[in-house]
Amino acid sequence: MINNHPNTQLLTDYATGGLSMAPLISITTHLQFCDQCREAVSGLNILGGELLTEGDEAELSDDLLAQTLAMLDAPMATNTDAEAAAETPKSSLCPDLASQLPKYLHRFLNSQELEWRSLSSTLSVAAISVGETDYELALHRIDAGGKAPVHDHKGTELTVVLKGSFSDEDGIYREGDFLMREPGDVHRPSATQDQACICLSVLSAPIKLTGIKQVLNPFMQFNPS
Amino acid sequence: MIDNDLKRSTYRKTLKSDGQARIMVTQIKTKATMNKPSGPDWNALLVKVGSHQDKAAFGALFSHFGPLLKGFLLKGGGVEPEQAEELVQETMIKVWRKAPSYAPTQAAASTWMYTIARNTRIDWLRKHAKKNHQTDELVAEDLFDENEESSPFTALIQTRNASNIREHLNSLPQEQLQVLTLMYFQGKSGQEVADELAIPLGTVKSRVRLALQKLKLKISPNGEEQVVYAS
Repeated sequence: MINNHPNTQLLTDYATGGLSMAPLISITTHLQFCDQCREAVSGLNILGGELLTEGDEAELSDDLLAQTLAMLDAPMATNTDAEAAAETPKSSLCPDLASQLPKYLHRFLNSQELEWRSLSSTLSVAAISVGETDYELALHRIDAGGKAPVHDHKGTELTVVLKGSFSDEDGIYREGDFLMREPGDVHRPSATQDQACICLSVLSAPIKLTGIKQVLNPFMQFNPS
Repeated sequence: MIDNDLKRSTYRKTLKSDGQARIMVTQIKTKATMNKPSGPDWNALLVKVGSHQDKAAFGALFSHFGPLLKGFLLKGGGVEPEQAEELVQETMIKVWRKAPSYAPTQAAASTWMYTIARNTRIDWLRKHAKKNHQTDELVAEDLFDENEESSPFTALIQTRNASNIREHLNSLPQEQLQVLTLMYFQGKSGQEVADELAIPLGTVKSRVRLALQKLKLKISPNGEEQVVYAS
């Protein structure tokens, strides 16, 4: 049972195409786990379809249909098979994670090396590039029983629990749970004792580690104290 | 009314960028969908395209949805008429290609078309955005995972959603319809709509919420407040 979901605004922005790639990926990932939100998005897509069909028509050039029909016969690479083949996850992907990730992320990560780097003795991070500068997408792993450093947020942080669970001052979050942390929220997540917790996270600005004077971007540098 | 003025100016902006101005004047039509004589069964035509590569069916879909798609894309702004036609073409070619995976039990043709058009526009905008350095193969279609099988129960909910939306869409207050239109047609986030209309984000959110209530769409189990500390 998933207790934590994206809010209405995020789901609406998702369905209307208003989200950047990284937040979009985090919502899709949550949808892999959550029937309720998938239904909500379907409803919002129906609304999109209605707005489309109730909207204004704009006349097309006379030959557009003929042109398009001609293009249909152009041989298309049967890329469905090729894509399916490419979806076999590479072993370079953290093996226990591979089975947890949505397919699209597989394919995407297959083209890149996933580099885990330690942020502390129990916390590691692997950045995922989506070619955007506004957001950072990453996987975070907290070892079983481990604690992440206390930090607050300069920007918004979106987190989806992919595997295991973690808790902080406010509650416990399990697989599929979606969290949004706003600037000013301070928390110290820690994984449960039985297994490591892996999360997909999206950051809109560097995190500030509380107690350390300078603002650090955890993906760029962090010296475990 | 401020809202109406803003709305008009939005459309005027669109008018300027569109040589075929006349088409853009009306807004969401208030035609009564419910009372319309039932036209062709678009879902069935789409199935025919998928199962038989039926070009006549494709042509019928093209003639119906093409102009709507162009209108949709033009109203979004930032797209010139020729580009809009390219995007219509691209969308319809995807429709042809993807039709075999179309299942009328999961989505109406209009819903399905909408998602393909939205994704095509996202990719197009990304390709043309200066800040996007990467010429990656990351396409919206792969990021929205909408090919999930839906259960009969889900299908039932969707049917009910669709009829609720159809029934109540035309009776939405202008200000709510305006916000939804900006979001859907322009792919603008709530924040961007707030910026464009020079109203607080909270106002945009509450208009969206009220509109969704009227349309009887249940959205986030958590509602507006994100973090529910249930455990």
